[in-house]
Amino acid sequence: MTRPHATVRMLVNAGITHVVGIPDNTSGPLFPEVRKHPTIRLVPVTREGEAFALAAGLWLGGASPLVVVQNTGLLESGDAIRGTAMRMGVGLPVVVTGRGYAKMSAAGMGPDANKTRELLTRADVDSAALLTEPTLEAWGIPFSVCRGEDDPTEAIKATITDARSCGVPVVLVMARSFE
Amino acid sequence: MLTVAQLLEPLARHRTDEVVVTTMSVVRPWGRLSNSDLDFASADSAMGHAADLALGVALARPERKVICLNGDGSMLMSLGTLATAVESGASNYLLVVSDNGEYEITGHQPVAARGRIDYAALAEATGFRQVHRFDDPRSWAEAVPGLLRSLGPTFVHAVVAPGNQGPIGRGPREDARYLKYSLADWSAKMRSALGSRL
Repeated sequence: MTRPHATVRMLVNAGITHVVGIPDNTSGPLFPEVRKHPTIRLVPVTREGEAFALAAGLWLGGASPLVVVQNTGLLESGDAIRGTAMRMGVGLPVVVTGRGYAKMSAAGMGPDANKTRELLTRADVDSAALLTEPTLEAWGIPFSVCRGEDDPTEAIKATITDARSCGVPVVLVMARSFE
Repeated sequence: MLTVAQLLEPLARHRTDEVVVTTMSVVRPWGRLSNSDLDFASADSAMGHAADLALGVALARPERKVICLNGDGSMLMSLGTLATAVESGASNYLLVVSDNGEYEITGHQPVAARGRIDYAALAEATGFRQVHRFDDPRSWAEAVPGLLRSLGPTFVHAVVAPGNQGPIGRGPREDARYLKYSLADWSAKMRSALGSRL
């Protein structure tokens, strides 16, 4: 069984009804698995902020969505998260794939690096990774990071549990490949 | 051109168990016509996200018609939702754009390309199953019963005269029942009304 297949099975067992988002290289393998599943529904959107509002609407209607977006899209989504999922009290699990995390690691730095002009403009560093965790902290969104040795499926399962118990959006930053 | 009242009154008259999501300039006027637990004000909320939020409700509740009373400024902030709605195939989704050409509640500032955007053409090009444009109250009022029964996704471009709504708050000072609650409390109430067990 492939990891995406196992993850979709876990999502169904956890009661997730819809996966809402935009795929990237990391989450890409998950989307076709969701699309072909007979019970869980894939809802592709055009912009990441849209994913959060649509997921809040799904929750309002009694469904149990999971949002999957890249960290660049998370940064775009601030007002949508604040004004819908957070303001409505939606226990929304969110998987944020971590563009630039490998580069950040290779450059020997982490999200706590001082965000100087020199660093933010360096060709070998992706500022999306540098700004992801500080942004989540600033927005007051609980999050954890799935790294090299962690099992992505178990990490997503824990995020679903946390979001439901907290009644707020909870993010899992996927700083490793999904497969 | 319709007034806001001419836009909303036929809907309120024929509405039964449909979910109605409002935003911006129609929030208070709709709240004066309806006190249903199935109304949702996308106010004190996120800019431009009423249409996608309503689409989410429609996808969660395919057996129930979901009407979004959107504004033109809000629609311009989330034009991609037209594509998302069509891709989703939500046949129970009715998206109404109340086009008054301005950001009414923030002080009547004109929207970009005011008066030059053919919203119905946008919806048609995106692939909405049904697309309508109304600029006179009589044809709109006559069409409402059919629109409520229509197989969508359905799009309505309504040309509406600007009103005089100011910034919208929540709490006891607001007259509309759905604005007397916090967004979280009203959301819980509406979920209960929809019979959510999750």
